[in-house]
Amino acid sequence: MIKDFNSEVKVRRSEEGKFVNGEHHKRNEWLMGVAGWLIPGAGHLLQGRWQRGLMQGAAVVLMFLTGLWLGGHLFPTAAQDGQNANSLLQLPALVANGGTGVLYGLCWLTNTGFRENAQLSTFEYGNTFLLVAGLLNYIVMLDAFDIAVERKS
Amino acid sequence: MIHFLVLSLFAALVGIVFGNVSNEAGKSRILYGLKVFGQFILAGLVIGWILYFIPLGNR
Repeated sequence: MIKDFNSEVKVRRSEEGKFVNGEHHKRNEWLMGVAGWLIPGAGHLLQGRWQRGLMQGAAVVLMFLTGLWLGGHLFPTAAQDGQNANSLLQLPALVANGGTGVLYGLCWLTNTGFRENAQLSTFEYGNTFLLVAGLLNYIVMLDAFDIAVERKS
Repeated sequence: MIHFLVLSLFAALVGIVFGNVSNEAGKSRILYGLKVFGQFILAGLVIGWILYFIPLGNR
């Protein structure tokens, strides 16, 4: 019964082009997703989608750099002095910042962008740019994954 | 002025990404990106004017 169902699914999927001669195309879809997360646009570039990869990657990187230029700050991975359970409040922001992958890693290694610049009138804009850059890269990463598993063209 | 420029840049970058990940094809994709850009600008201006009429109080 289960075997019949599986073979039926395989036949149905073969009509969509995912299975050829009963064998799954190994497209390394997870690799595309991880690459897209680490380096913005890399998931598309590895699949030969140069235009989309370059445009999306450039948009994310430009948004991240603009956020730093406007005085925004990144959220640290460890709790700062005096913070206890309060540090949990910065977890969502950390997840958003972490979406930029290597960009966040480079800033973490060089200790760049973690200092608050509240004296600048644009620092809140900077924070928003940095957060949204990470969130946009999650969308780009999922797009690369969807293309790899042929959910999208 | 810089606030509007920042808003425009934000809307443009989000529009580029949203346009690229949309399910549209060809010209419709560009139009969708432009639509997102316009909507962000419009929403920013509307919210800005609403906040303009809200008194800040004595600070």
